[in-house]
Amino acid sequence: MASSTSISQVQPDNRLLTALNIVPGILLLAGIGYAAKILERSVNAYAKAHHWTFPNIEYVLWAILIGLVISNLLAVPKIFHAGIATYEFWLKLGIVLLGARFVLADVLKLGGISLALVVIEITLSLALMTFLGKLFKLKPKLISLLAIGSAVCGVSAIIAAKGAIDADDEDSSFAIAAILALGALALFTFPAIAHSLHMNEVSYGLWAGLGVDNTAEATAAGALYSDAAGKVAVLAKTARNAMIGFVVLAYAIYWASRGQAETVSNKAAFLWKKFPKFILGFLLISLLVSFHTFSKGQVSSLGNLSKWAFLLTFAGVGLRTNFREMSQQGLRPFIVGALGEILIACLTLGLVIGANRIWGL
Amino acid sequence: MPTPQNPAPTTKAHSLSLDTWAVIVALVLALAVRFDVLKNVPW
Repeated sequence: MASSTSISQVQPDNRLLTALNIVPGILLLAGIGYAAKILERSVNAYAKAHHWTFPNIEYVLWAILIGLVISNLLAVPKIFHAGIATYEFWLKLGIVLLGARFVLADVLKLGGISLALVVIEITLSLALMTFLGKLFKLKPKLISLLAIGSAVCGVSAIIAAKGAIDADDEDSSFAIAAILALGALALFTFPAIAHSLHMNEVSYGLWAGLGVDNTAEATAAGALYSDAAGKVAVLAKTARNAMIGFVVLAYAIYWASRGQAETVSNKAAFLWKKFPKFILGFLLISLLVSFHTFSKGQVSSLGNLSKWAFLLTFAGVGLRTNFREMSQQGLRPFIVGALGEILIACLTLGLVIGANRIWGL
Repeated sequence: MPTPQNPAPTTKAHSLSLDTWAVIVALVLALAVRFDVLKNVPW
């Protein structure tokens, strides 16, 4: 999420080559996404025509499943790798465009509730992960990374924190693998639990946004329940992402005070650098829609563009999840992550049920 | 003539972050929709 600079010789040919490199992977994402849409329609139509009792499997799940099968059972050729890595761009594009489906009043109301819950969630998650990490005698900086990843926003938060607290590559790859593996599990467990509890769409969306760590998985977990739940999950997750700078800054100051990281001289600049800028884009689009800049049909078009961007993201979530690679990352960080995530999921579920009683979500 | 010991001068190019690109592309798409360049996007 942090902005990056690169030193490169300005060579238009190289840039063209880089741009061409991503085309095969993007086509693969689009192909999987479109296949998922076709499967959703045709399987449901076939089941209906033959009077089968068959669960309605949405395109979101099909896209993830096709991606998982390709990534885990077949080897993805190298030519697709660069394009598959763009899934995070499609995620952010989808979120910014999703702003069209929220008028500012909704953002303020739901965002306000989300922010209040996010502050509680972050405090509890940091305390819990630190306690579990110490209990299992993990390395101190690995504990920090796992705590930040589970409290704020998964992989992006870990990457943002890695430089700030001067953690080593091994610790960050352990933490990222644990967060990704648990995010993949959440995709299947969260909707199932919510269905068994008969949660309403807003409550579930809030829970997915608060309980699932990585933004792509939180978006997919929300969309797996319903379209409306997906919208709320993105909003809650965005509120959580907005806190990234504050949490990473606190950890950077802590490790600097122990002489194990660089001192942060300009805190405001640090916060701005770490702030996820796509949130501003989301708010801007929502503001434009609130002031009736777009007609009803145009708002619908923007919403559909957002869905297409998410479709590519969901294909990417499946494709980049490789269980064999994750299993090689070490058991103890995974156990700490899993225990922490289960407890955080229970805590956030309790928070959302409580919020539902208080505010009637 | 650049050599390994004496490389060619490089230009420090500030590449935009992924977030910034996402916002730029979203705004371009929003403009295209607003001015009917993109109409009735299907789903």
